Amino acid sequence: MSSDSLEEMKPTPGQRIRSFVQRKDVMQTFVLGIVITAGFTLMGLYAYPNWMPAVHSKEMHSARLIMTIFTVLSAPIAGLVLAVAVRAFLNMHHGDTPPPDSELSERSNTPAILVWCFSTGAFVVAAIAIGLLAYNSDTNSAVADAPDAITVDVTGAQWAWSFYYPAQNIQTHTLELPSGQPVDFHVKSVDVNHSFWPVQLGVKVDANRIVTTTAETRPTTLGPIDIRCAELCGLNHAVMETSGAVVSASDFANWVNSIKASGGVQQ
Amino acid sequence: MTTLVHQSEVSSPAPVPAKSLITKLNIVTGFIVGAIFCWGTYYALRAGRDMTDTHNVNKVLIISMFMWSLGFMIGIGALIGPFRWLIGKDLTPEEELYMSGEGQGMKRYFKFCTDHKVVGIQYLVAVMVLLGAGGTMAMMIRTNLARPGSHLVLPQIYNSLVGLHGITMIIAMIIALTGPLGNFILPMMIGARGEAFPRLNAVSFWLLFTAIPVLCSAWFLGGIPTGWSAYAPLSTQAGPGMNAFLVTIIIFAISTAVAGTNITTTVITMRAKGMRFNRVPIFVIGCTISVALAVPAFPTFMAAMVQTGMDRTISTGFFDANVGGTGWLYANLFWIMGHPEVYVILLPGVAALLEMLPVFTRKPLFSFPMAVAGMAGIAGMSALVWAHHMYMSGWMPALNGPFMVTTEFISFPTGLLFLVFVGTLWRSRPWLKFPMLCVYAMMWNLLIGGITGVYVSDVPLDGTLHGSMFVTAHFHYTIMGAALSGAVGAIAYWFPKLSGRMLNERASYISFWFVQIGLNVLFMGMFLVGAEGQARRVANYSEQFAGGNLVSTIGAYSVGVGMLVFLWAIIHSAGKGAIAPANPWGAKTLEWTVPYPAPVENFSEEQVVTSDPYGFGKRVSK
Amino acid sequence: METTAQSKSRSLITGLLTIALGVLAVTSVGVVLHHSSADPQPKEYATIKGTIVGPDGKTYPHAFLKDGVYPDPVSSKAHGTCATCDGGHPSWPSYGPYTHFVLPAHTYVTIDLVVYDSGGNLNTPYFGNVVGTVAGTATYDGVTKANLDPTAVEHTWTLHGVPTTTQDPLFVNVPLPMNTDSEMKAYNDDPTKLPKGHIVEFSFITGGKGEYLWNCEYPCGDTSYQGFGAVMGSAAGYMGGKVSVI
Ligand SMILES: [Cu+2]
Ligand SMILES: [Cu+2]
Repeated sequence: MSSDSLEEMKPTPGQRIRSFVQRKDVMQTFVLGIVITAGFTLMGLYAYPNWMPAVHSKEMHSARLIMTIFTVLSAPIAGLVLAVAVRAFLNMHHGDTPPPDSELSERSNTPAILVWCFSTGAFVVAAIAIGLLAYNSDTNSAVADAPDAITVDVTGAQWAWSFYYPAQNIQTHTLELPSGQPVDFHVKSVDVNHSFWPVQLGVKVDANRIVTTTAETRPTTLGPIDIRCAELCGLNHAVMETSGAVVSASDFANWVNSIKASGGVQQ
Repeated sequence: MTTLVHQSEVSSPAPVPAKSLITKLNIVTGFIVGAIFCWGTYYALRAGRDMTDTHNVNKVLIISMFMWSLGFMIGIGALIGPFRWLIGKDLTPEEELYMSGEGQGMKRYFKFCTDHKVVGIQYLVAVMVLLGAGGTMAMMIRTNLARPGSHLVLPQIYNSLVGLHGITMIIAMIIALTGPLGNFILPMMIGARGEAFPRLNAVSFWLLFTAIPVLCSAWFLGGIPTGWSAYAPLSTQAGPGMNAFLVTIIIFAISTAVAGTNITTTVITMRAKGMRFNRVPIFVIGCTISVALAVPAFPTFMAAMVQTGMDRTISTGFFDANVGGTGWLYANLFWIMGHPEVYVILLPGVAALLEMLPVFTRKPLFSFPMAVAGMAGIAGMSALVWAHHMYMSGWMPALNGPFMVTTEFISFPTGLLFLVFVGTLWRSRPWLKFPMLCVYAMMWNLLIGGITGVYVSDVPLDGTLHGSMFVTAHFHYTIMGAALSGAVGAIAYWFPKLSGRMLNERASYISFWFVQIGLNVLFMGMFLVGAEGQARRVANYSEQFAGGNLVSTIGAYSVGVGMLVFLWAIIHSAGKGAIAPANPWGAKTLEWTVPYPAPVENFSEEQVVTSDPYGFGKRVSK
Repeated sequence: METTAQSKSRSLITGLLTIALGVLAVTSVGVVLHHSSADPQPKEYATIKGTIVGPDGKTYPHAFLKDGVYPDPVSSKAHGTCATCDGGHPSWPSYGPYTHFVLPAHTYVTIDLVVYDSGGNLNTPYFGNVVGTVAGTATYDGVTKANLDPTAVEHTWTLHGVPTTTQDPLFVNVPLPMNTDSEMKAYNDDPTKLPKGHIVEFSFITGGKGEYLWNCEYPCGDTSYQGFGAVMGSAAGYMGGKVSVI
């Protein structure tokens, strides 16, 4: 969307539009809008991806992508709003008495309202569509992945995480996952609510007492994972952290074997 | 606004009812009776109870705190009317007149006073005190987080700071505009001589007042470990300070219901002749939607707190999974209040800025119907989005999709408000005064808060952002950046009506830049560490977040200095500011026709309204 | 009649004064909070006696620590100095006399705990395992074990992660054996008579310098919810504390 969307209200022939666009204040607003839009777009494309955690899974990948897309999509709207505001700001009136009444006294402008509603409506629909598609794809892949998934039982306690791999029958305090294999976290708490957050995997789910909640992901890239608690859980909430890693399938097998060798409990 | 004038008779003040108890009661008697009720209950209930049992401690504390509130209300004379009803009587007209505080000077601010202008000032002072307390706690939080390692305070104190900062600020912001201006200015704006229920008006303020010592007592009862969201079952496990929290919320919910009913009824029934709904000033509409939204929203929080109290005292187990309860019930109840509450805070601030925008641009408000539709749409939609706070709770993943749709749809009515701002600013020559600067600040901050709100409303993205500092930064941009900027602008704009003087301009500008630059630095740093993966509400964090946190802390100090400058501006200007002309901004709303100091009944004549207050602009339109 | 200049400079002065007073007020709140946050935990420094060969074949300095676990802070005080014992919580169990352990870096540390409290079920059976010690075991009254029955644990000593990217990881979990009802009988009748107690000894090897945190994972708090209220959820210094590796 650009600033020529705020047109004169009367039904206009092409000439009128052209003279509107060529007006000095309209041009200034337009240029300002382009600059601001470009600023937001650049931030979306280059700043956000660098801020966010390393990508170790499909979910984290889509999170970063959506952040970028939303920023770029909203950039023109921000550009228009700020351009009009800045243009008015540059034109401000100083002094201790009110400025004279504006030359303009229009209380409405149907084309402008329609263009605005259409543009923001399109943004909203796009945002909803992108969100639903990405969510659907995450959910579908979780379902499709389920048969060959490795299950990890995650237990949150005030204030430490522990893990149990049922198929491997090992108990651990760090989380290692084989790359490429889907993983199914079965999360519960023994006391208050916690939130299991393996940061670089881009998923998160609350840990509740008695009921088990689930989160699914497929680690794709090797590297370390930070595991945090994302739900305030009392005194030592801030230190309810542990570490982990996405490792190759063979490294994972070695890791499991070494734990089995020490009686099934990770040392 | 064009008004026609009709003379009507003004009754002369009646003599003070010399023998009435009402003349003897004030804040001091309130404290005395409240303290007697509180400590009396405490010692009576303690006797013979096993106070090593947590449940007994909770029972005794909760009941004592409620008795304090009741005792204070009796002591200040709030219940004299209801007591008389029991014997089939009511206050005498002389007593009613006495309660309006006419001619009582400063004393009336410390009494049960039914004058809406007195109540407005009382609320203003309460808001400033609460913002000061909440701000001080924010400084403590930021100082503790300045460097990794949590060097300032122990984690239990940090957790209490986080929770009590949260609830103090939430209470302050809920009443920030509808309290002072909704009471003082709003009746004048609609040409009313008072409010629909003057006694309830005073009740709403003094109830809120009794909640403040209760909230403070949390500090002396070991604090709260839960944050202001007070999630169960952590709140069940929490120490005795939690009782203070839940009693505060229950009292505050009653106060809000009373105030909301009063303002809504006033606006519906007491508008000046000819003030049809399309001629009501937009600030009045914003306030009314805000308080009307709070009326149904707050009872769910109150219910959740009653249940928390029952779990803590008589082991009902509403939220205890061991006996079939669930914390998800709490989360639902909390957020059914929690999301509308955001708009309860935001709408009056935005509406106040919309009110002053035509005045400073000397243009009509662009598309008044869209402004109303935007606010009504936001209010209506806000009841349907609560579970977006629970995407990652595991409560009902099947509902994540629908809640994502409703949540993102709320951008549309929010967009309409931006349309009104942009349309009014379009080709305008705004008068750059401090309130107008606040319009700019609000637009920028709400834009950032709104766009980041779309991020966190997206389920896949929320998998990363939920529970992180990113969310904290997002809602501070909306509540602090947008709503508080609106409130500050509104106080400055109506300051001449509140105090008869102009707010010191230079100090306001200095304050403005300290606060606005500070808060953008503060929350940009917080966005950064949040996106990077720092969880919320942590007393300590790993070294990778050190840079962003230090930036945030520096920004916070700048906000703190700016707020102190603004405090000085208010205090100094209230006493020594330039005497304000009757209508310094050249506005067309009715409150500017009321002289300063405003008479008890505001207008000596009946007001008749023939147009809306936005008839600016040279070309005369339909 | 004062001049504009005078009133302006007066405004400036009162304005700066407001800022100064505000900063002072906020700072004093900070000082008060910081003061009341003064760490009440008495520190115990490990003493190094000789060297020992670790399981990796390397030779380490060998450091020793001793501490106790008591059913209430009064009896823990009776066995040493305990700053937190006077906190008005006579029913809270407590480690004592120390809860803040100072250990040298890259050292083989042996800790002896004498435990005098009763016990029961762990919330998380996992913490019934001995984790992170040399050989993954501890000795209980001289008997080497890799785990305890998670339904008969007194407390646990669980040293775990802190939010850091620069410190060496250190995770140690040692469950402590409970005193049975018959062992506790004398104490229950007369709280000045502690049971004979059990002696737990375990060793682990510290990494580089760092600040760590330990807490108990046995639900020994009040009955409010899952045994983690009161002593567990309110403050360190009883059932939780620090480990500083220097
Ligand atoms: Cu947690
Ligand atoms: Cu314990």
